[in-house]
Amino acid sequence: MIAGLPEVAGPEVARDLRRNGAAIAVEAVVVGLGFILLVPALRHLFSGEVTEAWAMVGALALVTAFYGVMRFFSQVRGYKIGVNMAGVIFERLGRHIAQLPLGWFDVSQTGRLGRLTSQGVIEVITVPAHLMRPLIVGIFTPATVAICMAFFDWRLALTALAFAPIAYVTHRWAAANLQRADKAHDLAAVVAANRILEFAQAQSVMRAYGQLDRESTALDAALATERDAARSHVLTMGLGLSGFVIVIQVAFTAILLLGVSFALNGRIDAPELVALLVLTVRLVEPMFSSAEIGSVLRMATNSVAKMDALLSTPVLPEPKDPKPAEGDDIAFDQVSFAYAADRPVLSGVSFEAPARSMTAVVGPSGSGKTTLLRLIARFWDADGGAVRIGGVDVRERRAADLMAQLSIVFQDVYLLEGDIAENIRLGRPSASDAEVAEAARLAQVDEIAARLPGGLGAPVGEGGAILSGGERQRISIARAILKDAPIVLLDEATSALDPINEAAVQSGLQSLTRNKTLVVVAHRLHTIRTADQILFLERGVIAERGSHDDLVALGGRYAAFWDNRLRASQWRLGA
Amino acid sequence: MGVARLIRPVRAQIYFACVVQAIAAVAAVIPFIAVAEIGRLLVVGGYEPAQIWLIAGIAAVALLVRLGAVTGAAAVTHIADVHLQLHLRREMAAHLGKAPLGWFLDIGSGRVKKALQDDVHEMHHLVGHSYTNRVAAIVTPLVAFGYLMYVSWVFALICLLPIIVGMLAMSTMMGDQAKQMDLYNRALADVNAASVEFAQGIAVIKTFGLVEGAHTRFISRAKSFLDQFYAMVRGALGPMSIIDLLFSPIFSLSWVLAAGLALAGWGVIAAADILPFAVLAPGLAGPFFILASANHQATLADQAARRILDILETPTLPAPEQPQRFPDSPEWSVQFDGVSFSYDGEKKVLDGVDLELPAGGITALVGPSGSGKSTLARLLPRFWDCTEGEIRIAGAPIRNLETADLFSAVSFVFQETRLLQMTIAENIALGRPGASLAEIERAARAAQIHERICELPDGYQTEMGPDAQFSGGEAQRVALARALLADRPVVVLDEATAFADPECEYEIQKALSELVRGKTVLVIAHRLRTIVNADQIVVLDQGRIREIGPHDDLIAADGLYAKMWSALRQEEGALGEAAE
Repeated sequence: MIAGLPEVAGPEVARDLRRNGAAIAVEAVVVGLGFILLVPALRHLFSGEVTEAWAMVGALALVTAFYGVMRFFSQVRGYKIGVNMAGVIFERLGRHIAQLPLGWFDVSQTGRLGRLTSQGVIEVITVPAHLMRPLIVGIFTPATVAICMAFFDWRLALTALAFAPIAYVTHRWAAANLQRADKAHDLAAVVAANRILEFAQAQSVMRAYGQLDRESTALDAALATERDAARSHVLTMGLGLSGFVIVIQVAFTAILLLGVSFALNGRIDAPELVALLVLTVRLVEPMFSSAEIGSVLRMATNSVAKMDALLSTPVLPEPKDPKPAEGDDIAFDQVSFAYAADRPVLSGVSFEAPARSMTAVVGPSGSGKTTLLRLIARFWDADGGAVRIGGVDVRERRAADLMAQLSIVFQDVYLLEGDIAENIRLGRPSASDAEVAEAARLAQVDEIAARLPGGLGAPVGEGGAILSGGERQRISIARAILKDAPIVLLDEATSALDPINEAAVQSGLQSLTRNKTLVVVAHRLHTIRTADQILFLERGVIAERGSHDDLVALGGRYAAFWDNRLRASQWRLGA
Repeated sequence: MGVARLIRPVRAQIYFACVVQAIAAVAAVIPFIAVAEIGRLLVVGGYEPAQIWLIAGIAAVALLVRLGAVTGAAAVTHIADVHLQLHLRREMAAHLGKAPLGWFLDIGSGRVKKALQDDVHEMHHLVGHSYTNRVAAIVTPLVAFGYLMYVSWVFALICLLPIIVGMLAMSTMMGDQAKQMDLYNRALADVNAASVEFAQGIAVIKTFGLVEGAHTRFISRAKSFLDQFYAMVRGALGPMSIIDLLFSPIFSLSWVLAAGLALAGWGVIAAADILPFAVLAPGLAGPFFILASANHQATLADQAARRILDILETPTLPAPEQPQRFPDSPEWSVQFDGVSFSYDGEKKVLDGVDLELPAGGITALVGPSGSGKSTLARLLPRFWDCTEGEIRIAGAPIRNLETADLFSAVSFVFQETRLLQMTIAENIALGRPGASLAEIERAARAAQIHERICELPDGYQTEMGPDAQFSGGEAQRVALARALLADRPVVVLDEATAFADPECEYEIQKALSELVRGKTVLVIAHRLRTIVNADQIVVLDQGRIREIGPHDDLIAADGLYAKMWSALRQEEGALGEAAE
């Protein structure tokens, strides 16, 4: 019923779904038969056969009771299956996501992921809980009634059946039109949404430069276009729906008139006519409700498709036969990497960073500095060449071993919900309180804690929201100090910190990086100049390499870069 | 009720549609009555065929009327809805165009988008369907029931019995359900939070090799949500199934036939009188579900309307009653006169600031984060109005200036930059409409961005879309070119703009130097070295001016600034980064 659902939910749930579907179908057929009992019941009534009429009513009551019980149980089962299914999906998504490469988790992914693993799963629950029943009943009950009608009067049944394909074709035509209008409308809505975002984000610019006069704004034009698209959407939908309703009503009118003429000619009797007309109405009703279910079903189908795509995102392969590292040196051997096949980010990068040395990576923005750093931590695997730590290819290391050897301090720091101490302890869960306090002191987190009620036990809020960027960085440094891994990967902050945070971060980093193999994407002149070796990256290639003095003496790209940065540091406003 | 105010522009259309829908609802019952009457005549006998054909004809006409009326009512409400949507969006956009600029910093573009796009859309069901659905759901059963009362009031009341029982059960459940719903919403919020934390925190957790913990925590929270969900549903399923059963057509049919047989047996009704009930009674309960769903939609629409009203009720910056103009050849100095400001009406972010920015001079604001320097700088381009005191430009209080006049004197460059969706040339020319291409190019050169623009496929005519190919630092320089071309006499800027993108820091600095030449400048300073040449340095602390004067005077005064300066020197000394 929903493509991909069995794959996402697993075979057991799929089997339960099929079983419950079958039970609902049986119930729907029985209800259809119950409706048909109306014909003999009325016949007996009007022929004065009261006992037989009561027998029919008794049978109908039995069908009703059966329906009530079946419906209750299938409903309970539907929810049960929905909940089981959601459990399976949560579990599978959770496990799979945990194995995805680190590089996969960028901002846009995590936003979508949050929605998929909450709202998305709930949408999927509605399939067995709400959607299966009306869909199945909508087909099986009218079909049963239609087939049985033929036994009473084949001409009327045929008339009803003749309209079925017409109704179907009209419905398909309307749906196809609607889809086109949907697309046009969605497009207009996206354009308008972009304009609205622009309106909100660039409000200061628009206002400062007089761009808000209604008639002239692009926002207003986009809104008007969206209105036009919505209007033609409404008209298309109205046309399609009316077409469908017209077909149904013409059918009903035809059966009514035909039935009346048959009754007047004595070909059918009054009870039969009435019963058949009542049944025809019952036949038509479920068709109307199916249109509403469609949109809910579409949402669920979309979510399932997204889950399926997520579950088939390849995970980072773990080696069958993992090797231990024999040292803390890092080597790149002809490493190439691209996020998209046609745009290489790194090509043929080779260098060595001896244990306990410091390597600074510099270069223009977009030259691949951060990517280089991330390949060491296996955010992604290199497309070509090899990244080795301690002589062993990172792909031959167990993920947990590799991570144990590295500390990563990046610009964007995300703190987990909990208190400061918990966030620091993440670096080494077995650490004692004294060790946590010492790490906090070295990164000057103790100074932050002193200002907060609860000290190190103060909660950091969702994502660390109650702390400033500099304070979050200090906590992440304390975390890394506690971990005390032999290799440190550092992405130096570009954003402006106030002098107090800046000093605290620098002193924390000094404690962290002492006697470590350090690879740093460097922006501070001091950091760059004190590095053992500097890699100057340009368009994904190491353009120059060497110590600061060597490279300045070389008088090439790095020398120009350094000169530029030096001037920037000497710049005075209004000089 | 917020909804009533919002839909006022289309109230007439909705009333009209409701009347048309009422006609449709009556017309919808007529064919059923016709079928019942034809059946009765056929059973009882003694009829003229013409009589039967007449009734059948009426039924056919009623079907046509219904079709026309339903379509008409839907068309009216839907077109009204489409126009209302545009109207509301325009009203909100116009209103927000007058809200304090600072409001946009607090609220975030996501919420604006949600109100203008999603919330307005959420009201569709209300305007397009709810009112007419309710009319149909009330009129149709009333007409049907009236007819049944006319046939036999005793029987009609008996048919009502299961519906009354069902409704009573429903209303007792409602209270319970509200409580359950609350629990459910809380559990849902919890699983949402767990999802967000899982998604955002997983990278951190993975780097510490604690993967197992992360997803078990998420899965266990998700599962406890499911348990809660199932417990809630399971409790309601029993009563809900009984209500569903009572309202179902098959039950109604059994009930009607059993009651009819009994009543006919006792001679209360004629056997033929059962027909109208068999035809009409099964449809009596259906509309209640429509009503329930319409109510649900109305609640959602009301919540959306509330959010829309929040936007429409955002206080705007008061426009001056009698706008003041700048003098003819103004002296572009700026006075802050006893300026205090508070975001929340309690905590003062600025407290009695008196400050004069000399015409053509540079004033730098320094101080720890939270001292109020950004707020003070943003009061000048009226991101907010100060709560107390007054700010004057060239002697004119900024509150008395038309927006256009204010911005003809003040330009500002803060860290957050967003280029507009238009060509680069248009983006730069915003500040001087009608500028020649040569002027635009000159500004771009001065802002060190000309060469980068020339590398683009369409050069200056390249459209800056939402996925602009420019980096933050490059967009920053386009904004600087714009400010350069606009050439306003007063400039407010954040020095941090320069190092948002370290690789082009020097280029941005050169552009800034161009921009401030000869202007009255207010700069938020982060690095003391940058502003040592400023005409005056203002040291802010907790919203008050602690010290003020040129660099040398402040050093000599040996106060807070001197301490900050020596801390900087010490750190530089320790790191060996005295930049020479």
